[in-house]
Amino acid sequence: MKSYYGRQLVHAKANKVPENIISSAAFIGNVCQRCGQNVHGKLPNDHFYCRACLALGRVSSLDVLLSFPEPNHFDGNDILSWNGQLTQQQKVVSDELLETLSRQREHLVWAVTGAGKTEMLFPVIHQALSQQYRIAIVSPRVDVILELTPRLQQAFSQTDKVVLHGAQTEEYRYTPLVLATTHQMLRFKSAFDLLIVDEVDSFPYAGDQMLAHAVKNARKINSAVIYLSATPTKTLQQQVKRQSLTTSYLPLRFHQHLLPVLKTAIVGPWRKKLPLKFLRQIKQFSQTKRRFLIFVPKVSDLVSVYQNIKKDFPDMFGDHVYAGDPKRQEKVQNMRDQMIQYLVTTTILERGVTFPGIDVLILGADEKIFSENALVQIAGRVGRNKDRPTGLVKAYIQHTNFKVMAAQRQIRQMNKRGRRLGGRV
Amino acid sequence: MGCLGCGRQQTNNQLCHDCYRWQQKGKKLLNHTALYQYNDAMRQFMQQYKFNGDYDLRVIFNCVLSQKINILNADIIVPIPVSDHTMVTRGFNQTTGLIEGIQYEQLLKVSAGQKSHQSQFNRKIRMMRKQPFMLIEQVSLEGKEILLVDDVYTTGNTLYHAADLLYECGAKNVKSISLSR
Ligand SMILES: [Zn+2]
Ligand SMILES: [Zn+2]
Repeated sequence: MKSYYGRQLVHAKANKVPENIISSAAFIGNVCQRCGQNVHGKLPNDHFYCRACLALGRVSSLDVLLSFPEPNHFDGNDILSWNGQLTQQQKVVSDELLETLSRQREHLVWAVTGAGKTEMLFPVIHQALSQQYRIAIVSPRVDVILELTPRLQQAFSQTDKVVLHGAQTEEYRYTPLVLATTHQMLRFKSAFDLLIVDEVDSFPYAGDQMLAHAVKNARKINSAVIYLSATPTKTLQQQVKRQSLTTSYLPLRFHQHLLPVLKTAIVGPWRKKLPLKFLRQIKQFSQTKRRFLIFVPKVSDLVSVYQNIKKDFPDMFGDHVYAGDPKRQEKVQNMRDQMIQYLVTTTILERGVTFPGIDVLILGADEKIFSENALVQIAGRVGRNKDRPTGLVKAYIQHTNFKVMAAQRQIRQMNKRGRRLGGRV
Repeated sequence: MGCLGCGRQQTNNQLCHDCYRWQQKGKKLLNHTALYQYNDAMRQFMQQYKFNGDYDLRVIFNCVLSQKINILNADIIVPIPVSDHTMVTRGFNQTTGLIEGIQYEQLLKVSAGQKSHQSQFNRKIRMMRKQPFMLIEQVSLEGKEILLVDDVYTTGNTLYHAADLLYECGAKNVKSISLSR
């Protein structure tokens, strides 16, 4: 029974509903009540099923949804086994989060990449755990969750937690702490007293609508929601302006240094021949043993760019990686473990992944795939280390580009605010 | 090379173990045609289509399967039925989905109290089970060539039981086809 607390299950109408279980319609109008979308596949006899959330198991017009109340059966004796120090600015944000919890409101933390948001969350998570609250930390991106997990494991080593995502092997268990992709929230109903959505702006394709539904579905009526973002979407920014969402703003990184500026270089058609300026930069990296990422627009660019570099610099070890790469985790781990000096990558590594002390080059930064926010995120990969708080971020473009300029402006604006708080270059 | 009775891949052209047993039991062999091996890709397809219920996927093999059925040139096409319970939970018969657009006759139904999906039984139990089907109504199939259609062929149990009923109605010959085996 425990494993059903706070869960929402699909149940065939033809099968008997167990006693004392809340059952509700799977579709109202034509809208799927699990995911809030209206995208159908047809079945015989005028029945239909939801295509939008099919990956979580089918919901059809032959089904009802069952949900199970969340009784908060936790002991509340959780220990925060983290003894780092928050900076003064982090402490301010952290206190605002505690207030968010006690006032059960919705709150946005707008913090630059590398502001140390995970650490800022520890006090509010700890507070919620000691109140026997149930907590979910979710992100649209699985990488973000995978990166967060070991850090939460360290900080709350005594607390039982479960990690849920599409490719997970761990079986679901009833735990006070749930780490999951946003999608997985569709399997919960009124379950969480505190819901934290990390990298809220990175929701792909289906847009904010499904995310909003997932959050609304999974949180309790009386609950707190914290959104985290370095590059909030226009919708979120509007909510801030309308003051329907309170905000903490943190423009300074944890080491008190400003964000690295995004530099540009105009080059010729780089797909035909790698530009000299670019190769000169790589040469410098090979001499100084500096580790670096090269972002390219398309999966089809990966191999040719990688092989051209390898041809010119055969002694320098690197690799290439893309979203559907079967060896993706392994390659990223090799980069983390400093087994390789560089990775040629698509935008999948734009966020959530941290390699200390790297530089970043972006080929074709003017192409469509790199949005303004993606470029800001990519620039944010650099200078994450206290020992090397700055670094090089260079965008190679064929023409002056409005979007690249907008990204530069966004970084400059944050640095302006950061400087006011005493940030250094 | 494959088994003469069911097309199973093997190193010789003799009857495979299963077909040999059906013959020993006095059955007339079905001369089964299977379009594809039941490999990993097919398992994944079936998982998505049949068990996760993504009925839209029925179109993927519709064309090849229909063509093959037309070539076999039977008088009557009879799909293997699913139980009433499956129809109100899964919501579709995976086999009739696969052959949508082809003229078929639903002569058989699953007897009450029978579960039509038998994945939960192992091979041996499946071969020993008794007749899971019945005729929807009495018909005469005198002199007719019948083609039975199923989604997956495993031991032949399902199809041989279905064929028994059709022969009882006077069918001249019963052959069978499945998407995979
Ligand atoms: Zn849905
Ligand atoms: Zn055989």
